[in-house]
Amino acid sequence: MKFLISLAFKNLTRYKRRTLITAGAIAFGLMMYIFIDSMLAGAEIESVRNLKWFETASARILNDEYWENRFQKPLDLSISNPDRIIQTLENNGIRATKRIVFSGDLILNADDFGEDGNLAATITAIDPVRDFRVFGFGTTLIEGRFLEPGEDAVLLGSWFAEDIGAEVGYWITFVTRGNGGFYEAMDLEVVGILNCPNPNVNRALLMMPISTADEYLDMDGAVTEINVALPDNADVPMEVERIQEMLNGDNLTVMSWEAMAVDYLALAEAKRGGTSTILFLIFIIAAVGISNTMLMAIFERIRELGMMRSLGMSDTKIRLAFMIEAAGIGIIGSAMGIVLGILANLYLVNVGIDYGFLLRDMDIGYRLQAIFRGVWNPGTMIKAFFIGVIISTLVAWFPTKRALKMDIPACLRHQ
Amino acid sequence: MIKVDNVVRNYHAGETVVKALRGVSLEIKKGEFLSIAGPSGSGKTTLLNLIGCIDQMDGGEISIKDEVISTMKKKEKTNFRRNNLGFIFQTYNLIPVLTAYENVAFVLSLLNLPEREVKDRTMAILKEVGLEGMEHRRPSRLSGGQQQRVAIARALVKNPEIILADEPTANLDSDTGREILELMKTMNEKHKTTFIFSTHDKMVMEFASRLVMLHDGQIQSDEKR
Repeated sequence: MKFLISLAFKNLTRYKRRTLITAGAIAFGLMMYIFIDSMLAGAEIESVRNLKWFETASARILNDEYWENRFQKPLDLSISNPDRIIQTLENNGIRATKRIVFSGDLILNADDFGEDGNLAATITAIDPVRDFRVFGFGTTLIEGRFLEPGEDAVLLGSWFAEDIGAEVGYWITFVTRGNGGFYEAMDLEVVGILNCPNPNVNRALLMMPISTADEYLDMDGAVTEINVALPDNADVPMEVERIQEMLNGDNLTVMSWEAMAVDYLALAEAKRGGTSTILFLIFIIAAVGISNTMLMAIFERIRELGMMRSLGMSDTKIRLAFMIEAAGIGIIGSAMGIVLGILANLYLVNVGIDYGFLLRDMDIGYRLQAIFRGVWNPGTMIKAFFIGVIISTLVAWFPTKRALKMDIPACLRHQ
Repeated sequence: MIKVDNVVRNYHAGETVVKALRGVSLEIKKGEFLSIAGPSGSGKTTLLNLIGCIDQMDGGEISIKDEVISTMKKKEKTNFRRNNLGFIFQTYNLIPVLTAYENVAFVLSLLNLPEREVKDRTMAILKEVGLEGMEHRRPSRLSGGQQQRVAIARALVKNPEIILADEPTANLDSDTGREILELMKTMNEKHKTTFIFSTHDKMVMEFASRLVMLHDGQIQSDEKR
């Protein structure tokens, strides 16, 4: 065995350039694997964070029938005693905030916006005191100020404000139907603009104080949802169950963020699957390269092979010798790939890639506004290293098998 | 020791059948220094390959040390070659990335001998073939004659009873070829190893203690000297 290893590694130095080129193909495949895995993992981690901080919270309490009818945003399928529930949750160490979500038409006035117009929009009415304890909007203000309870004011997402040409100090009119079906129009002053990292939110965000909405919509203290923040390391399904038990008998349901973001999770899974296919193809190309290199190496040394077989070296040992040699290429290539992957990942983790130009107008599913940052994943690197070495080793089996099919005199005669 | 009985070997080139050996029979005793001679295409390499268990015959039987090799399976033949036969090739067939020492020791590594024994036997045989001090040279730093000496050492190091040499001097000039033949003859006398070599070189034939002439796949003459 010692001899076989020594022979295999000495043979690697025989055609240095070819060894390096083949190792380079593996290195490129591995680098891509590490880079893309890091980028996707980073995008998923940040997307989940942005989902929870700006869209779904960790969990949400809703009227039993609300989720099925959520696209109509019904005000009558509400939670009638939110403050009592929030108090109960807080007594159990759980942060929570209430919201009213309703839709209607946004009327734009020519005085401010240059021309008259209207568009369908959704307003989220928040508790200006508690909301920032559950959601992450506290650090996103880029212009103006936050909301104050009871005022006729609205905050806009920066992309939404840009799209409609709104600025702080402008007035908008929002026409909607109140609880019971009556029409209501509310004039709201834009008091601030938020730059939310979640593009889906930033593209359509309108926020107003819940007390103002309660009055306009005649909610009588009812809300459409209570959002709950759980620690990052919390066992969400267990916490959801625990909250559900606290609400027993209230005709309310608790949904985890995963249940609400099921579309996003399916999309992320599909993207991961698609990317894995591409990476698999990269590895196949590298594997074909190695196989070809080994085929050339074997057939260039076919007389040596004949000699070794003549002297009584078994086919198994010969196969092993070539597979060790291929493993050597795999080790060199994988080591190079890991180094290149780390270098590429250093940039990805610290600087990231700005896809803002793409994400501004296109929804690709990820809750990222512009910059894709990577994460360090040593497990992936170890896995990539072993995949590189194992693939290299295995693909040498085919050309060796082919060479061993030749009879020994033919090997010895080979020119 | 070696009994070749009515051996037939045909090669197929498309639809044409080339009869390389047409019923060759021969007996070789232990310690003989035998040359199989004849013009190109006479079947001498084929006969050598069949005795060396690296080719498959189409008829007849070969037995070595009372073991019928013609019926052996591939694995059995490999084991037989490993334990009983040594080979010397026209083009030496040394592994270029290994030193002279490693090229010889390689054969012993196949026998799973202890490292100490591998070292002692390899150094001893290299000294015997006149390569002392050149153990660490790679083939590219050895002359043709020195490379063939390494090949002889490689064939002898496991103390085989039979060494098969296919045109061992064909790639050497006449002086070096003579040196190699003298070395082989010395080893034959010293170790009582049976040497069977194919050649069409007259000088090589002169060295042989027995000369078997082949023509068109048949024995034309068999003379002892």
